[in-house]
Amino acid sequence: MFGIFTYRKPINYIILINLLAYTYIFYNMKLYKFDTLALGFGVILLLCTAYCIILKGRLGDEYLFLIVSMLLSIGIIMIYRLDNGIGIRQAVWMAIGIAMFILSCQIFRWFKRWEQLAVYYMVAAVFLYLITLIFGRNINGATNWIIIKGQSFQPLEISKILYIFFLACYFRKPDRLFFENSKYTKPMKLRLNRMTLVGFTFLNIGFLMLQREWGSIILISLIYIVVLYVFGKDKLFYFFNVVFAIPIALFGYFFVHHIKVRIDTWLNPWADIAGKGYQITQSLFAISSGGYFGTGIGLGRPDLVPAVNTDFIFSAICEEMGVLTGVAVILLYMMLTYRGLKIVIKVRNGFNKVLGFGITTMLGLQTFIIIGGVIKLIPLTGITLPYISYGGSSLLSSFVILGILQAISKDDFADMDGEINEGE
Amino acid sequence: MGIIRLLMNFVFVLVIYCFIFSVIRLIYMDIKSMNFFRANENSPYLKLINQREMLNFKVEETYAVTKNSIIGRSDKNDIIIKDPFISSSHAQITIRDGDFFIKDLGSKNGTFANENTLKEGYEQRLNNGDKIRLGQVEFLFVNAVSDK
Repeated sequence: MFGIFTYRKPINYIILINLLAYTYIFYNMKLYKFDTLALGFGVILLLCTAYCIILKGRLGDEYLFLIVSMLLSIGIIMIYRLDNGIGIRQAVWMAIGIAMFILSCQIFRWFKRWEQLAVYYMVAAVFLYLITLIFGRNINGATNWIIIKGQSFQPLEISKILYIFFLACYFRKPDRLFFENSKYTKPMKLRLNRMTLVGFTFLNIGFLMLQREWGSIILISLIYIVVLYVFGKDKLFYFFNVVFAIPIALFGYFFVHHIKVRIDTWLNPWADIAGKGYQITQSLFAISSGGYFGTGIGLGRPDLVPAVNTDFIFSAICEEMGVLTGVAVILLYMMLTYRGLKIVIKVRNGFNKVLGFGITTMLGLQTFIIIGGVIKLIPLTGITLPYISYGGSSLLSSFVILGILQAISKDDFADMDGEINEGE
Repeated sequence: MGIIRLLMNFVFVLVIYCFIFSVIRLIYMDIKSMNFFRANENSPYLKLINQREMLNFKVEETYAVTKNSIIGRSDKNDIIIKDPFISSSHAQITIRDGDFFIKDLGSKNGTFANENTLKEGYEQRLNNGDKIRLGQVEFLFVNAVSDK
């Protein structure tokens, strides 16, 4: 019975860190609100229950969820410390997210014909973009929020997933996806299919440009280039794509005011500390004031950083928990990406392979783009840090793709239920 | 109070790194078993049915059965499993004319093939898909060659 409390089980560390952190916040904030302890126990209970479901239900790889639950714990601790109300709301989102995670895992396994729906993915994505254009509200500079009965959400998060599904459809049978039964010649079909691929990618980028969502533009184009590099057979086509991207990027820099500002503040944020460089300099001050071990939860001033709940949560973590925790967070994301790639290597089904690879790439790149932006490694673009940032739609979509990855990972484990040679 | 605060920060960082270390350790064990499996793809093997993380001792995901091998807790065996419920030499797998037989070597807690207790000294023939249970661990005997 006492075997449960061994130092070798990673889940115990998650319980430990939540217990420590919420007790610490409880005593340190001098508020003695019992909500804090209740929230802590709620989070622990949720994570443990979900972990047990994954283990008992044989849902495949369990490391994915372990790593993610550590990230979630750090995120909720930090958000709760920044703003109690938002922290509790984030915990509720997490509960819904975990339910979505298990649900999407089951649905993905239950429905077998995902690879035949390429056209529907395209239509749905365009539909979502159009809705955003017509009904979208402007919150924090980007016109990509839809508000229904007081709940705001970003359709963008769904269309990113749809784009990866489309890529998976395309690369399952490259150059033969559409026009299969038409009377065009073979090279013509190949060209038409590639034009569809490139066209749909540019359609995504174009709509995102109208929403001024620069972070997502970079994300989508990088996913496209990486997936094409890994699964594309034609080197010349890949080369054209990369070369074609350069003049577009240059055009953006010279003619789009927003992009120019972003790059200028990245090169020298100190020129205009009070204005355009304010966000990035505050973030750098916050990170440096923390030192190696941080000021302690509740003792720093991360509230000075703008948008600290969402985009800049990494600098708040660095300030209050120390740069070493920041490094640990990056390590956790690296492990998550590694785990995703390992799952993908073992998968035999072509569609699942591309899909899993796209999802892993998206998680990894998203982390790189936002953490790189916050520490002034690359130009800053507003995008959420998966599983840590506050935000219902971002958290839910991250959980949905994690569920899909989990479902894909189960392919390795299929023979454990006694169906010995099925997949061979 | 200042010292407690500092100590708390240390503890936080320490716990997070311990977590990372323990996950990496499990992942490492996972990869090791994967390489082991790949080397013996065509030979018959024992596949672990239990969830490895539920067991508190070291056990591989698969064990290749290429020769007569003795399963047990002691280090001189061919297949070593440090389960406290397994005797020091627990059971033996014998190969005769391409057929596989399992024999209990007088173990304390018994050997089970498809949930039937094996009498000591009796040789039970193993077919593809048979379940073998010794102590807390349960294996699936996989012999893909004989099926084809």
